[in-house]
Amino acid sequence: MSQEAKKGRMLTFNIFRYDPQEPGDKPKMVKYQLEETPGMTVFIALNRLREEQDTSLQFDFVCRAGICGSCAMVINGFPTLACRTLTTKYPKGDIMLMPLPGFELIGDLSVNTGKFMRELAERLKLWLHPISDDIDVHRLEAPMDPAEAAKLYELERCVECGVCVSACATAQMRDTFVGAVGMMKLARFELDSRDGRELEDFYHVIGNQDGVFGCMTLLGCQDNCPKDLPHMQQIAYLRRKMAVTLV
Amino acid sequence: MGIINRSKLSGWLDISQSVSGVVLAIFLWTHLILVSSILLGAEAMTWVAKTMELSFLTADGHGYPWVVTIIAMVIAVIALIHVLVAAHKMPLNLRQQRALKQQLNVVSHGDTRLWVWQAATGVVIFLLLPVHLWLIGAAPETIGPYGSADRIWQQGVWLLYLPLLLCVELHAAIGMYRVAVKWGAARDLNSRSRMKKIKSIISVIFILVGIASLLAFLPYANV
Repeated sequence: MSQEAKKGRMLTFNIFRYDPQEPGDKPKMVKYQLEETPGMTVFIALNRLREEQDTSLQFDFVCRAGICGSCAMVINGFPTLACRTLTTKYPKGDIMLMPLPGFELIGDLSVNTGKFMRELAERLKLWLHPISDDIDVHRLEAPMDPAEAAKLYELERCVECGVCVSACATAQMRDTFVGAVGMMKLARFELDSRDGRELEDFYHVIGNQDGVFGCMTLLGCQDNCPKDLPHMQQIAYLRRKMAVTLV
Repeated sequence: MGIINRSKLSGWLDISQSVSGVVLAIFLWTHLILVSSILLGAEAMTWVAKTMELSFLTADGHGYPWVVTIIAMVIAVIALIHVLVAAHKMPLNLRQQRALKQQLNVVSHGDTRLWVWQAATGVVIFLLLPVHLWLIGAAPETIGPYGSADRIWQQGVWLLYLPLLLCVELHAAIGMYRVAVKWGAARDLNSRSRMKKIKSIISVIFILVGIASLLAFLPYANV
């Protein structure tokens, strides 16, 4: 086989560029070309572009394995993780990259999801509130029912990538809307037998139009979540639970 | 303190949106099936119209046409509740409308586009339904193969009914699908996509039946 035949196809990346720190910079789309290599992900392509063509390109990544949730961006109209998106998925070889909408833009494809997640956690109190305040490190923990543990683990898989918030038109229209990530995490503590909060306590934080009763069930969260978390079922579960407190 | 705890109001609002929507959708589908009796001929429709006016309760068989007026008024009230509650979810200010437009441009998502259709048809229904309810509620005795045919084709009310039919059948089916998913009727993604398919079939069938019914009135006009 000749050297020519081994050559990969040419990919065209159309990337959103804007640096808010740079005075006078305007948002624009910039085209880059890159030869595809076997097993290439959008994440690999971005690293090569930055290394070989444009060192000023900003994007986030840590784990390159779909665990850290840092490299979420909008790829050809679908918010997802760059490290889990193979370039072979796009037969035409045209790939458009936009930063996740709904978050503070750091620059180019990099957004500050951390700030959002921290504020959300503080607002919804997304941590375990033990049933008893009496903390004794010498006491043995009560064993958890394996079925319950499995249920909690399923919801714990969230990597806080921010895709569900970006894919949600409701969250885009209402800044104060908690989004699927907030409800998912709250549902996780509602299910946890070690958590002392009552339904009324949960109602207090999400029983309003910024929470379950503001959600319009557009299901952008469900359809785009890179971890395939059961947002549809969990939000419905939480909504039913909150509705029960009305009567 | 009122009957409803103020902090629980948003919950009640959301539930009333779902409940009023379901009631309206069921009424709509029943209504269309009753009207489609014209497809079976003038006699069938006359019987349906008379029965709706409770003719079986009167000796002379004329019934009480005002029963239809009352139904129209009840529907108007339920629809008003539905509008007032659903308006909370609409992008009413410019910032929200821009955010929605931007979202539709950047992120490609079917169910979000479906909601935009639902919102748009909702606005059209909000404008057209009062006219329909007024026409029917103000002249209930004219409902029947000849009276209705005259209204639809001689007086040109088909110009109102055709867009109303299209909008309402899309809006109701999408809404029923959303209510079902919203409260957890879809256990998994397969049952959701099945529901979505059923919703589309329902829309198409009712639109076809509706158009066929409108056309079936044609022979009874021009008299």
